[in-house]
Amino acid sequence: MHTVAPITKLALTVFVTIWAILLHSIPALASLIIWQIIILVLTRVDIIVYKGIASLFIFAALLAGMQYLINYDTVLAIVTACKMIAMTLVFFILLATTRMQDLSAALVVQCRVPYEYAFMLTAALRFIPDLLAESKAIQEAQACRGYTPQGNLVRRFFSYMAIIKPLVLKAVTRSETMALSLELRGFGNRKIRSFGNKITLNARDYALLICMVILTSYLIVH
Amino acid sequence: MMSYITLENFSYAYTHPKKVLNNITVTIEEGSFSVVLGPNGAGKTTLCLTIAGAVPHYFGGSSVGDVHVAGINTLGSTMQDLALTVGTVLQDYETQLVTMTVEEEVAFSLENMGIDPKEVAIRGKDALLKVGLTGYEKELVTSLSGGQKQRLVLASVLATNPKILVLDEPTSALDPEGTASLYRLLGELNREHGITVLVVEHDIAAILPYADQFILLENGVLLVSNTPEDVLTFMASNQVFVEAIPSIWQLKLALEHHKAGQCELWRREQDAIVELSRLLQEEANKNA
Amino acid sequence: MLELRNVNFAYKNQSHVIHDVSLTVSPGDFVAIVGRNGSGKTTLTRLIMSLIKPISGDILFQGSIIPKCTPAKMAHHIGYVFQNPDRQIFHDTVAEEASYGPEQLGYTSEQTNTFVNEALAVTGLSELASAYPLSLSKGQKQRLTIASALAMQPKILILDEPTSGQDARQRDQLLQLLLKLNKQGMTILLVTHDMELLSACAQRAIVMAKGHKAFDGTVAELFQDTIRLNNWGLSEPAALNISRQLAAFGVAQTASINELSHDLATRLGRNDHAYSSTNH
Repeated sequence: MHTVAPITKLALTVFVTIWAILLHSIPALASLIIWQIIILVLTRVDIIVYKGIASLFIFAALLAGMQYLINYDTVLAIVTACKMIAMTLVFFILLATTRMQDLSAALVVQCRVPYEYAFMLTAALRFIPDLLAESKAIQEAQACRGYTPQGNLVRRFFSYMAIIKPLVLKAVTRSETMALSLELRGFGNRKIRSFGNKITLNARDYALLICMVILTSYLIVH
Repeated sequence: MMSYITLENFSYAYTHPKKVLNNITVTIEEGSFSVVLGPNGAGKTTLCLTIAGAVPHYFGGSSVGDVHVAGINTLGSTMQDLALTVGTVLQDYETQLVTMTVEEEVAFSLENMGIDPKEVAIRGKDALLKVGLTGYEKELVTSLSGGQKQRLVLASVLATNPKILVLDEPTSALDPEGTASLYRLLGELNREHGITVLVVEHDIAAILPYADQFILLENGVLLVSNTPEDVLTFMASNQVFVEAIPSIWQLKLALEHHKAGQCELWRREQDAIVELSRLLQEEANKNA
Repeated sequence: MLELRNVNFAYKNQSHVIHDVSLTVSPGDFVAIVGRNGSGKTTLTRLIMSLIKPISGDILFQGSIIPKCTPAKMAHHIGYVFQNPDRQIFHDTVAEEASYGPEQLGYTSEQTNTFVNEALAVTGLSELASAYPLSLSKGQKQRLTIASALAMQPKILILDEPTSGQDARQRDQLLQLLLKLNKQGMTILLVTHDMELLSACAQRAIVMAKGHKAFDGTVAELFQDTIRLNNWGLSEPAALNISRQLAAFGVAQTASINELSHDLATRLGRNDHAYSSTNH
């Protein structure tokens, strides 16, 4: 799964979503779900993904419960939950087996998404750990000045506000510096940009894509 | 000979009327290793950004005067025009790193220029070798130490083979060994590849062995721009920013002041030791 | 006053290791902590401040281990000044910023005012008491972070590379400030790369190398062996290097460039100059 081209996986995401909408019977949806879980197990994804899936199931159960309370229709409730699980699992597969950078390269080169938008995705991911480290550093500085998180929620809330200010300021200066640095590095010349990412399709990708199209047409006709 | 980088009566104000740079006229020859020095707030960073083409284009504000870099009139052209010629390492090096892994970072600028992926890989490897980050290709940028990040920014700039390198306090996260090896590298690039280097640095002793021009700024005004020797002598005679004079020059100027003779132009501690030994030996011979 | 006994530390991924470090700090000490980047200098101070907990070993303050110690508890005794001022400034005026510490520690507003005024006076920021901190220069911001630490009336001041990014003038001002504080009895732990700064103000030096405490002694002892210094990634002040290599000519070893220039000027001055000085 890791070696399948990003665009094929994107296509899979779209197709599975369509299938989840088209199918109504519980056995069919269940098999769609099981089949996706098998793929995840075979590709040996990180444990964190399974934790996410567990949360997904819990959330789906809640959704089913709410649906039941509205319609008192058990079957409808279960079907809704299954649709949700089926549609979301494919995103897990996409994100767990594809690097963000390759995904954004695929979006730009093969889907003609403007580079600047795809770049924003990866840049955001790059800076999230930095922002977290920054907020931790600020909390440490506060602690070293005798601050202890205590008292009621209101007091704690105002203390968190004290972190927000330097954090936001840092984020703003950071984005300005980043924009400057990008200009200095010749960013924005989308016409000639090259990509070293591995996003080309091989025979297997084409085969998979054809299968997906056939399956979808079959489902639509039925 | 047409000078490579020139500023002529250049003034810049970000918010009128406070001038960050006031009537600066300075010339930097091709292949020079120039150092911008002065107290914090003197306008050193702004001068660097002017040469990189970012001031005034990127920051707005108002400017007067002329700036020419490698034949391009920066005030009349875009930042893109200069991007290939000038490689800039900003003071905030953390924010200059925009990709996820080390190898992607060195490839970034090259990909922006549309260079073939095979060529990108070769140049990337070469650049990492120069800064001592070989073997770190797959590492996440966020997992690097401050010093490694600084070196990575330099590598990604070097990969583009710029003719001019502008570096704003490039050793702030490095320890003395790291600083020495960085300037050794820059000195090599300058001497052997003819790259014009412009550095902002507080530790004058570290760049003294390599520099051929000092540009002294204070409060946005250019006080003097000349050879390191002339500028250091100027600083001592006029009692300007004397705290920054490196130890060996404090020694040299003190000795000359006490009329102990005119010393050579020392660049390194070893130069001082060699000449002082000679002078002390002569003195001993005289007294013998 | 402060004691570390066989302290060991490492993060889960085995980075930032500290191997079996023991040391004592007495009141009034001025200790410089030096070593390569990654040798454990900052990690050591973070352990002292309780920002991280040792895996084994004890940290004692005034003879006893503080149970369930947190940085906030240590703040009653130790002022920690981080390297980057921007991460330590939260308020809208200089005075408010310096007041934050004593307020959090539970002092009355009267006490807080007294401490803040003292701290601002010692750091030369009294006139900027109502200034907006983010509009200050780098050097002023850094003095503000020191003032904020001083306002908590600590017994020990820990500074992590306070001269990084400072120009020579700001560095000199900081040096004078630290000397003044130490003279007034403040115990200071200074993490630095600047060997000239070290020799100008510290009496004692601790060298960290790969997480081990490789040296703990006086500054003079530190500079006795240059090969050892180079192995630790350190160098000696220019004056010391030069005077040492000119020892054959009778030049006295000194770390002060002023002393050295005076010595050499006397020796190399014009003959009548030298003659008249020997006649004294």
